Amino acid sequence: MKKKKITILIIILLLSAAAVIFVSNDDFIYSQQIMKITDIQTVDEQIQRNSMGLNEEHYTRKITGEIQNGSEKGGIKEIFYEETFSSVVTDRFRVGDKVFVDGTDLQLKRDVYLTIVISLFVVLIYIVGSFKGLLSAASVIINSVIFYIGLHLYINGINLLFLCVAEILIFSILSLILASGMNKKTLAAVISVMISTFVMLLLLLIVVKTSDYKGINFNELSFLTVPAEDIILPELLIGSVGAVMDVAITIASAMSELIAKNKDISESELNKSAKEIGKDIMGTMSNVLFFTYLCAGLPVFVLALRNGFLMRNYIASNFSLELARFLAGSIGIVMTIPISAFVCIRIMKRGAK
Amino acid sequence: MNLILAVILFLLMLYIDKKRGLKLFFSLAMNFCILIVIFYLIAIGLNAIVCSLIGCFVVSCVMLLFVNGESVKTISSIKAIAVVLLTISVLIFSVTYFSRIAGFGYESYEEINMFSYDVKIDFTDIAISMILISLIGATVDSSIAISSALYEVHHNNKELSRKELFLSGMNIGRDILCTTTNTLMFAFLGDFMTLLIWFYKCGYSFGEIVNAKTFAAEIIRILFSAIGCIIVIPVTAFITAKALKKQDTSADNGTEAAEN
Repeated sequence: MKKKKITILIIILLLSAAAVIFVSNDDFIYSQQIMKITDIQTVDEQIQRNSMGLNEEHYTRKITGEIQNGSEKGGIKEIFYEETFSSVVTDRFRVGDKVFVDGTDLQLKRDVYLTIVISLFVVLIYIVGSFKGLLSAASVIINSVIFYIGLHLYINGINLLFLCVAEILIFSILSLILASGMNKKTLAAVISVMISTFVMLLLLLIVVKTSDYKGINFNELSFLTVPAEDIILPELLIGSVGAVMDVAITIASAMSELIAKNKDISESELNKSAKEIGKDIMGTMSNVLFFTYLCAGLPVFVLALRNGFLMRNYIASNFSLELARFLAGSIGIVMTIPISAFVCIRIMKRGAK
Repeated sequence: MNLILAVILFLLMLYIDKKRGLKLFFSLAMNFCILIVIFYLIAIGLNAIVCSLIGCFVVSCVMLLFVNGESVKTISSIKAIAVVLLTISVLIFSVTYFSRIAGFGYESYEEINMFSYDVKIDFTDIAISMILISLIGATVDSSIAISSALYEVHHNNKELSRKELFLSGMNIGRDILCTTTNTLMFAFLGDFMTLLIWFYKCGYSFGEIVNAKTFAAEIIRILFSAIGCIIVIPVTAFITAKALKKQDTSADNGTEAAEN
């Protein structure tokens, strides 16, 4: 057993190394011009004072590099690049970096770093989680692919909300079967996820219709060319489905354990223990969502405060969307507890008789 | 709209359990306040990484001590979280330093164009603190799950050795790992959908998406949340197993001393 684990680990390590080596030499795949920086000279340094009285250094760098792909391969290019101390919208390049060249604009080639972090994740999840860990990594990848295909359909004009509900069904069936196999437990969990999703959808629709998005700031979605209202509801739903699945499978496993141990257990007893389990998970899970969502507001918050905006005004608008995401997700978590208890009792008790 | 959602959440939590629900809602509000304080301290120019490390530590103490009370489990969890935070911040620092995911990508320009960019604060630090803060929730979650489960295991079977305790901690961790990965991943997908739609509308190729700053930043952030909760599993199992065994021996010594 141990030997097998080490063999697989070595295979994963080799595959990751191969992926990293490939991605660091994949310049020929890209149609954009890629240049490897060989020299950086600072030709000008200026200090600019902003309205808050802060002194910010602006540098003009002369970046020299060797072109790595395309018809000009091997050629030398010089580009003047303006960079600021804060690097809010600029990047601090270093010698040895590979960058995409688009006119005078430079964009770092980040795929290598992404590959490294993904490999790190896969290796660690295998070391700690063994085969089961690998399976959950696989389900993440499969779900991302489905998600990507779904977006393709959306671009071709299919209603986003409908698509999301359909995707949630596929996601939950796939992930739950991968996580716990084909059995009654999984069936109960899948049905709970479906019912919870529909109830959530209804609830969110009612809330949205009655409040008309009052107090939600869509600034963050301003880059979209489609109305933000069309996006927000599917987004809230998708964002909470992971947590809903998590709760549903936890409750389903616990219920099936209880029924297996005591076939004569009554419905009210089962309900009570579902609540007992729910009590424990709702706290920790809502905390997971809380930090995952809310910290996304940090950069804009810093930028706003450094620009002299009042914190009080800013909290209300800057965090509104993140808060809505968190609240919707947590509602999903808490709501799934009684729903999945109900579904599990119906399915498992009937089967037991 | 958020107010209505908050009220619904509060009522649902109360329905599950009155006392716990109230406590939980209160601790969430407290977390929000701590978060704002951390953000504020970072914004006035204190070192962002130090601020967020201390902030994360305070948050985990609040979550563990306030909600679960002081015990061997919570103390071991806090120790484990401190170890994980320090180790992972080195990793996060190097990845952020090399991948240059600090600051804003093109997609956000419209959102931030009313601000001056000359703010004299290094956004690399901001990116690192963002990753640190976003992983603390998931890390605390899996840490406390393991230490409480181990405590139960130990309580029911005092004969188990330290190694056996550690291994059963890893076993429990495996289950937690899978579900938490899912939760994180979907939380991220929802967030991410808008971004992908934008990439599509602008006709980005796959290569352009993969190398875009916003995309890389989001993926790295979510992967580190997952990595945090992976690393915390063995660390918590190890520290808790050690603490539980130590407690036993000191209790034994105590009774022996009393007998003598």
